[in-house]
Amino acid sequence: MRPPSPSIPEKEFLNTALKQNLRLDGRSPLEMRKPTLVFGPELGWVECSLGKTRVVANVEAKMVKPTPERPFEGIITIHSEISPMASSEYEPGRPSDEEVTITRMLDKVIKRSDAVDKESLCILAGQRVWHIRLTLHFLADAGNMLDCACLAGIVALRHFRRPEVEVIGDDEVIVHSPLERAPMPLAIHHSPFCFTFAFFADPETPPILDPSQLEQRLSAGTMSIALNAQKEICVLQKLGGVPQQTEEILRLVKVAVDQAKELTMTVDARLAADWETRHVEVR
Amino acid sequence: MGSSRPIQISYDGLARVDGSARFAFGDTAALASISGPFEVRLAAELASQATFDVSVRPLSNVPSTESKSQAATIRSAIAPSLILTKNPRTLIQLVIQTLSPSPTPRWTDGLLAAMINASSLALLNAGSIPMRGVVCAIAVGRTRNGDLVVDPDEKTAGEVTQGGCFAFMVADGAGLESNSTTVWTNWRSQELGTFDEDELIEAREVARESIKEVYATMKSSFLPNDDKMDI
Repeated sequence: MRPPSPSIPEKEFLNTALKQNLRLDGRSPLEMRKPTLVFGPELGWVECSLGKTRVVANVEAKMVKPTPERPFEGIITIHSEISPMASSEYEPGRPSDEEVTITRMLDKVIKRSDAVDKESLCILAGQRVWHIRLTLHFLADAGNMLDCACLAGIVALRHFRRPEVEVIGDDEVIVHSPLERAPMPLAIHHSPFCFTFAFFADPETPPILDPSQLEQRLSAGTMSIALNAQKEICVLQKLGGVPQQTEEILRLVKVAVDQAKELTMTVDARLAADWETRHVEVR
Repeated sequence: MGSSRPIQISYDGLARVDGSARFAFGDTAALASISGPFEVRLAAELASQATFDVSVRPLSNVPSTESKSQAATIRSAIAPSLILTKNPRTLIQLVIQTLSPSPTPRWTDGLLAAMINASSLALLNAGSIPMRGVVCAIAVGRTRNGDLVVDPDEKTAGEVTQGGCFAFMVADGAGLESNSTTVWTNWRSQELGTFDEDELIEAREVARESIKEVYATMKSSFLPNDDKMDI
């Protein structure tokens, strides 16, 4: 069920306020909401919130036969269906535009950017590899679910530990339980984070970072940049919308680089703090 | 015997739905959200009552046949407590998200009970749907040596020979002959065993006893107090 379009007073108020560099929730135009990360009892479960937007990510691993085209690589699948829990505008069974955009973006940011090393997931070439399944659940849509989902996905992959396996000879594989041998983290090359900017039709309105629900609905176009702390751009996506000057785009990329550095430090600190609380006994 | 694993209740206040609640028996947790009554598409519209739509989403992977089956059972457990005729031609949408990994395929009743309880709390949290009572559920199992265990954990569930989930509708002072009535159960024997009516009735009474504690916890989570809501 589509929610009604924002009312004219809401639209005018937002546009007038943005022209004066004021956002409705008090942030400055290029300020992101502070992300909160909560880890579950299981490794690989994380709930990420950007303000009121919430996404839960869960990582699971199992051993499967690899595809014949790539017998030396593991498989990573990402499931990101939006349920009516995020908002009643999402109907079960029918992918909305937003869901398609998010799915494609997650595929590019997490799979195609080679964030996780697939060759390290191989156990027995041609016979057994790890199949890593990342499932994302969108609990609440208060704008910018894409950034929240990318963050949750990458943090969950870094948080997850797979069981240790031992290969004896040519065909024997022993999978050790987590109680026998400490599970291993996945081999992560780099951690890309996504930042979304929203543009508005009026040229005097500055672009804003991390739009809220109302800002996203009233925007005339968005641009998403996925990059890591090493200043490498994985994905830059601008799907039509308001035309922008090249200098403006470069300026926003610089803003995203600063945000990525800050976010990397926050995420590292949270992961380290959570790991401290888990008892790892060495026998 | 005994009581269930420690219960944790919290209200997420999810932004775009009318009511939401999280319920956990120990580590088995579920999150439910309710929206409604709101506009329904023409194909699903009912002329004399509201359409009650339930969907279940597992933690991993896309929803499968098992999710559809769980949604149907939860719907039949919760529906007796809702007065749907008050809002005809509208939709009441319940979405349940499993937050803990799937238990062994053999014993999913603990999770089912958590999902039913989360749904009841979400309905109360929304406050927009008229209700007759509150549906509370608990899982009970009988182990090999004949003892009845309430809300068995993963380890004990492996030794259960017959078991199931009981859902009761509890209504304070509603004029029912007892305070709680059974609305749903899926008691069955797990291995090649059998059970008779007396064993089922015994299990039901044990469940009814322990539901009092679950209901008290659910009720106290709504009362305003300075202490934490979970027990």
